Amino acid sequence: MSSVVIGADENIASHENYLSSGWNWRSWLLTLDHKRIGILYVVTITLLFGIGGAAAALIRLDLLTPHSQLVSIETYNKLFTLHGVIMVWFFLIPSIPATLGNFLVPLMVGARDLAFPRLNLLSWYLFVFGGLFTIYALLAGGVDTGWTMYSPYSTTYSTSHVFAVATGVFIAGFSSILTGLNFIVTIHEMRAPGMTWFRLPLFIWSMYATSLILVLATPVLAMTLMLMGIERTFGIGVFDPALGGDPLLFQHLFWFYSHPAVYIMVVPAMGVASEIISCFCRNPVFGYRFMAYAILAIAAFGFVVWGHHMFVSGQSAYAGTVFSLLTFLVSVPSAIKVFNWTATLYKAHVTFYAPMLYALGFVGLFTIGGLTGLFLASLGLDVQLHDTYFVVAHFHYIMVGAAVMAFFGGIHFWWPKITGRMYPEGWARFAAILTFIGFNLTFFPQFILGYLGMPRRYPEYPPEFQVWNVLSSAGSSLLVFGYVLPLAYLLWSVKYGAKAPANPWGAKGLEWQTESPPPTLNFHKTPIVTEEAYAYRTESAHG
Amino acid sequence: MRNAAETRPIVYILVWLALMILLALTVGSAYLPLGSAHTPVNLAISVTQASLVMLFSMHLSSAHPLMRVIAIIGFFGIAIMITLSLFDVLTR
Amino acid sequence: MAEHAATMAHQHQFDDAEQQRSAANLGIWLFLATEILFFGVLFAAYAITRVRFPDAFAAASRLTNLPLAGVNTAVLITSSLSMALAVHTARHGARRATVGWLSLTVALGIAFLCIKAVEYRFDFLEHLVPRLDFRYEGAQADQVELFFYMYFFITGVHALHVLIGVGCIATIAVMASHDRFGPSYYTPVDVVGLYWHLVDVIWLFVFPILYLVSRS
Repeated sequence: MSSVVIGADENIASHENYLSSGWNWRSWLLTLDHKRIGILYVVTITLLFGIGGAAAALIRLDLLTPHSQLVSIETYNKLFTLHGVIMVWFFLIPSIPATLGNFLVPLMVGARDLAFPRLNLLSWYLFVFGGLFTIYALLAGGVDTGWTMYSPYSTTYSTSHVFAVATGVFIAGFSSILTGLNFIVTIHEMRAPGMTWFRLPLFIWSMYATSLILVLATPVLAMTLMLMGIERTFGIGVFDPALGGDPLLFQHLFWFYSHPAVYIMVVPAMGVASEIISCFCRNPVFGYRFMAYAILAIAAFGFVVWGHHMFVSGQSAYAGTVFSLLTFLVSVPSAIKVFNWTATLYKAHVTFYAPMLYALGFVGLFTIGGLTGLFLASLGLDVQLHDTYFVVAHFHYIMVGAAVMAFFGGIHFWWPKITGRMYPEGWARFAAILTFIGFNLTFFPQFILGYLGMPRRYPEYPPEFQVWNVLSSAGSSLLVFGYVLPLAYLLWSVKYGAKAPANPWGAKGLEWQTESPPPTLNFHKTPIVTEEAYAYRTESAHG
Repeated sequence: MRNAAETRPIVYILVWLALMILLALTVGSAYLPLGSAHTPVNLAISVTQASLVMLFSMHLSSAHPLMRVIAIIGFFGIAIMITLSLFDVLTR
Repeated sequence: MAEHAATMAHQHQFDDAEQQRSAANLGIWLFLATEILFFGVLFAAYAITRVRFPDAFAAASRLTNLPLAGVNTAVLITSSLSMALAVHTARHGARRATVGWLSLTVALGIAFLCIKAVEYRFDFLEHLVPRLDFRYEGAQADQVELFFYMYFFITGVHALHVLIGVGCIATIAVMASHDRFGPSYYTPVDVVGLYWHLVDVIWLFVFPILYLVSRS
């Protein structure tokens, strides 16, 4: 299929841009350019996604049979721990913010770079350094506590390399904090003239809210890991029941970070979805202000619901009731967003380019994931469903079905801007659909498995569950192709793709007003903003 | 966010004096038979001391309101963490 | 004399020096918020454990060295004053005064750490070091040991922050001695000052909750 180009197509890149200015080790590893740092992050998290994905593939292969025939039980524990640790902290948390966020935040607000370019580079190095620690722990024999590292197993009984993993995550946490800090300052201080708060793209609102969570929640994780690590090292601590300590205290502190963390993973995806859907609907996002407020509300409410991970842990029923109620509340702004994306489609001129396929997939899968979250928020139902595959399916619908699809959608949408090349549209549509089908085949059976009672983190199960496990594993093989295909054709397009104009999609937003790829300082002249966000409908010659 | 108005040195000295007096108060009150009121009294004094430092030595009173919001949010976060966790512990 | 140019040089990403200063201010306050939440975990862990073992923690608190800690609190409060004055004189480009106040702050910070070291030594001599050398003959010895675990952890993390602060202040003292600060540029002093004040604020909470639980 041809690469269709809409809109003005001046400025085909044959000029100096951020990619052409310098191409040696120093110019990349010592860069202060937010765009190059975004690319450094893309490369790093792709490698880590591969490792986490390989662990998942082994898990799904092992689960083809009721008895664990591929790997030992000890190895199985290490596999799902590795999968969780890498996918949460070294893929999902950085994914959209550190890649698309780093690249786009200055462009979208009309700035030349982020507020603190050197801190930005430092954050990447901290991320790599933390990742190396974690890879070391894997090579040295792995960790078997699950990504949640609950005490007393993590502090007292596990003989695996918990300390190394905790250190790796601790270091990577500072990477998160610096990124969030940078974004908040940039958005507050460096918007171009005329770019008022309510003219900002919703992607920026989502980066802002995500950054608030990054900055406020991550320090809590850092100290909690420190408490856990010191307790493990010295054999004394506040989580140890032998001394009167409370293992639940670890869970409270851990989930105080880790629940907001899931919003770090999904809120950026919401921002991406708004950008893509409005563009391919030729419609402003319905209810812009409500969308912005909803983003902030999700971030705020996300801080008071952590106890829903602890309903059956020994937490008091009264606390459980309070957390259950608060959890239902956090679903409201999310639902508002889903309604508004849907309303954006109403009477719209919709085109189904690959980014739009990913974005629509995001909306549908986020809805299913979110609705199943309500099942789990229900105190009584959760007693049945906690620690079953229902939970696994729920969070994968959000993290993979929603967040990863939006990430891929965003990579495709902004690929022309980042690389100056168009990707092959036919292959991209195929990959998007393949991913959607593969994803549902992988994870929908897991809702059924959970309902039927299959516990999570178990390598063995009763034979009557096998059919659902086989379906799930079959789906995961499709998913592999769905992810590898874009890797292949995107890389291909860097050299052989059609050259992209400044605005191939005819989209609104400051990033599209500059060349593809952008010059090093983003704009030849500081832009002056005079129109509202998503000013699609105000075009005079409009169909 | 224009440059903050300047604080005169005498303000810092007065804050120092107030902090020292409050320090004496908090240590002194520890020797009074206040029973379970000790903790609230100590915390109230700490909050007062912290407020003086943050408002005057750290210029929050003359800074852009956003800085005050950021400072409050930090303490608010701790409050949520302690309140809800304590609620669990006390109602088990 | 420090530079007073109206068009002060600024980093390329900023439009002017004012935007740069504003960004630095917002940046440091966000960092301070992270420190508040970082220590907040310790306050939460301490609070919850103390609520569960009020008697053990009261008994344990009586074993802490109140005189030394009280003196240390006064030292830190005074260092906060000298730091505030340093920021003031740096803003006015008064080189010698700035170096003087910053040096005094460094000295007071080092004094804090020395007094803390003495205090720790007393704790060692009293066999109050969890796991390594802990002897307590009273009731709920395990929970008293837990108190001292939190005591060393909290004061240790705080002392680490004091040490880092001393290093930063010494660095800007050297910068000040080279006449780097004036009305149009004193950001490093301002930023480090804010950090130092927060270290003080944290101690103002740590002190009563550890040392003043039960003295009457």
